[in-house]
Amino acid sequence: MNRLRLWLLAVGGAGLAALLVAACLDLPAFGGRWHPYGDRAVQASLDRHIANTIASVNFDQRAYDTLGEISILFAAVLGCVVLLREARDEHRAPPEPAEVARPVRRYALLVLPVALVTGLYVIAHGQLSPGGGFQGGVVAATALHLLYLGADYGALERVRPLGVYEASDSLAVCAYLVLGLAGVLAGTAFLANTLLPYGTFNTLSSGGTVPLLNAAVGMEVASAVVVLLAHFLDQAVEIEEEHGS
Amino acid sequence: MHHLLPLLVALPLLGAAVLVATGRHLPRIAAEITGFAVSGGTAALAVVLLLDSSPPMVEWVGGWLPVGGESVGILVVGDGPALGMATLVSLLTLAALAYSWRYFDQPPHGRTGTFTALMLVFQGGMCGFAIAGDLFNAFVFFELMSVTAYALTGYRIDEAKAVQGALTFGVVNSLGAYAMLMGIALLYARTGELAMTKIGRGLDSAAGQGGPDALVLASFVLVLTGLLVKAAAVPFHFWLPDAHAVAPTPVCMLLSGVMVELGAYGVWRVYGTVFAGPGGIPAADLTRALVTLGAVTAAVGAVMCWYQRHIKRLLAYSTVAHTGLFVIGLGILTPEGDDGVALYMLGHAGVKAALFACAGVLLDRFGSVDEHALHGRAGQLRATGVMFGIGALGLAGLPTFGTGLGKAITEEAVGGPLTVVFVAASAVTAGAVLRVTARVFLGLGPRPEDAEYETSGSDEEPETPGLLGRIPDTMTIVPAVLLAAALAVGSVPGFGELVARYVNETGSGGAHVSVHWTLHGAVLGVASTVLAAALAALAVTRPRWVAAPDWAAPLRRLQSGHVGDYVAWLLVGATVLGALALPGVLGG
Repeated sequence: MNRLRLWLLAVGGAGLAALLVAACLDLPAFGGRWHPYGDRAVQASLDRHIANTIASVNFDQRAYDTLGEISILFAAVLGCVVLLREARDEHRAPPEPAEVARPVRRYALLVLPVALVTGLYVIAHGQLSPGGGFQGGVVAATALHLLYLGADYGALERVRPLGVYEASDSLAVCAYLVLGLAGVLAGTAFLANTLLPYGTFNTLSSGGTVPLLNAAVGMEVASAVVVLLAHFLDQAVEIEEEHGS
Repeated sequence: MHHLLPLLVALPLLGAAVLVATGRHLPRIAAEITGFAVSGGTAALAVVLLLDSSPPMVEWVGGWLPVGGESVGILVVGDGPALGMATLVSLLTLAALAYSWRYFDQPPHGRTGTFTALMLVFQGGMCGFAIAGDLFNAFVFFELMSVTAYALTGYRIDEAKAVQGALTFGVVNSLGAYAMLMGIALLYARTGELAMTKIGRGLDSAAGQGGPDALVLASFVLVLTGLLVKAAAVPFHFWLPDAHAVAPTPVCMLLSGVMVELGAYGVWRVYGTVFAGPGGIPAADLTRALVTLGAVTAAVGAVMCWYQRHIKRLLAYSTVAHTGLFVIGLGILTPEGDDGVALYMLGHAGVKAALFACAGVLLDRFGSVDEHALHGRAGQLRATGVMFGIGALGLAGLPTFGTGLGKAITEEAVGGPLTVVFVAASAVTAGAVLRVTARVFLGLGPRPEDAEYETSGSDEEPETPGLLGRIPDTMTIVPAVLLAAALAVGSVPGFGELVARYVNETGSGGAHVSVHWTLHGAVLGVASTVLAAALAALAVTRPRWVAAPDWAAPLRRLQSGHVGDYVAWLLVGATVLGALALPGVLGG
């Protein structure tokens, strides 16, 4: 069986590799000037006063894809809640307070507010500069976890009421959908960015619904990452297998 | 009307998000009613849109209408096949939610509505995939339905099998999705487009007089690998029996009833809009690839189905066999083949979901889905037994089931020696189900002997809080309605013609095909049924005559449960697909 397995892997891998190499030789040369989609996307982004074209693609031109992506994250969180629940042969034990080296503690507590503000900044400036809801959400969520490194699990749990984060995760998805449905109700199209004024180029309020969708995504990602990490940490720190079963 | 198309995705997602937000405070009954209302409302919307889909609708999400033929937005299509699939998805979700009404044990406790919410997200993902007209968007919803399906498959975490099955499912399907994404990247590099029709036109104009090159072949292989993994074509199929045997019953109804079929639908959609032009893959090569893989899939599925004693595993393999038939029917690229497969899928969804629902009743009543252990024990479950038998006849393609009509039309379109594959695959899978009916519900024949290398299906956990003493009405009514629907697909006069018109309007430029029962088709349908009954009778009375022969043992050992093996097979499958489609590229 083992030998068959290796043969299969060798044949399949070699065939696919040959195909991919042949395909790569036919790719357009590096550094070409022909970017049909890129040119159109930049134009569309400027037309709607959005300085960061990536944000325009994510939250305006292809906002429907982003809906799918945040739903994937939402479903993944829901899946983790289901799969990482306490099994029948497990029980919860409150973790022992851990001793943290003083420099680590000081550094973590010092960096925590900075990281949190950075995350919120990156979310808020999504349509202006690189970053946005996805990136800023992850930064903000991980900032909270400095408390786990700097203090202990109990301290993290006190600033992390999971119910609130789970609710805000789903409310953010609701907000994104409602903003999309507003377009349908207004008679234009789902997720149409035609309801709000486009504002002045390169200001926080520019881009119509883009900042709102971006904020919803930031809220969703931040809450989702907190909930995801919480369930994995619970498995590692709190949930133990029953002895003797 | 076309503005409402994205709501097929938005409504179930909104329902799910509301359920999760309020889940801690809702009583179970309120969560379930919300689930019904949302999935039923989406189904109603899909039906309304479907009735309005001639001529086909197109929606640019976000109102990004093309300017000078170019758009930066995402295209959603509302044609007959897309909305038909969305309707099927929604109705089947409604049926699965009704089946799990009240009795299905839904942990985690204190989070009411989580299961319903996951089912709604699953529905939204499948609807989104069905109506996608943009290749990248199709990938996004492909991922959404996959992620939800992994979680739903592993739902019963207290069973190691469930977690293992979900993990295998997750690894193999994620690899398929990555292959698909790589294929999309290659197509984007060549054409600079993501909308399927635009990619197709881009390939044609880039090829000029030259025909397809290695890049087109590679992208074709990669995209089809992703879709065929979902469709569980051999050798991409290994994940399916492992996952379907362990998923909760309502989830199995959706997985086997419609998710696997969406893979085949995706192949049809992507080939027709992206690769069918002169710059794509020539028709002869696609036919060679799909008919070969389809025939092998049907054969392997049928043989493996026959030798199972774990009833859910048996049904899972019959799904593999039938998707093989779907792939053959779509592979011949004729309007008749498309119409036949569309009807076959509709009928199969009803029959297969009903059979899984009946298997779920056995599980909840006896804590076992083992044909051998249950021998003669389910005699008092008369309604379930009758439905299991009727489901078997439906699988065989007995007139006037929808499966029978679809199979008859596909057989006629395929013609020649492949007819044998259709008759044999449907007869063997139906024979296996009839054999189970005879042994489990009627107690016929001697108790079969146990053999080596078998997944038994005993000692399963029921999906209800305890073993059921009495079968709740919902668990009887849902399969009955599903079987009636499968029967109606083949018997309601004019329904076949209607489906054919919708399918051909998109698939083959409005070709007119006369879709009705012919003597030839009916005779073959009856022949399959008789053959199935004969096989079942033989198996029950003379078990030794049809016991697994020696040559079947290696085939069974291939299903090792080892994820690494499945990944190796996936690579082999991609290589085979490339080899089968290679002649057209070399000739061009």
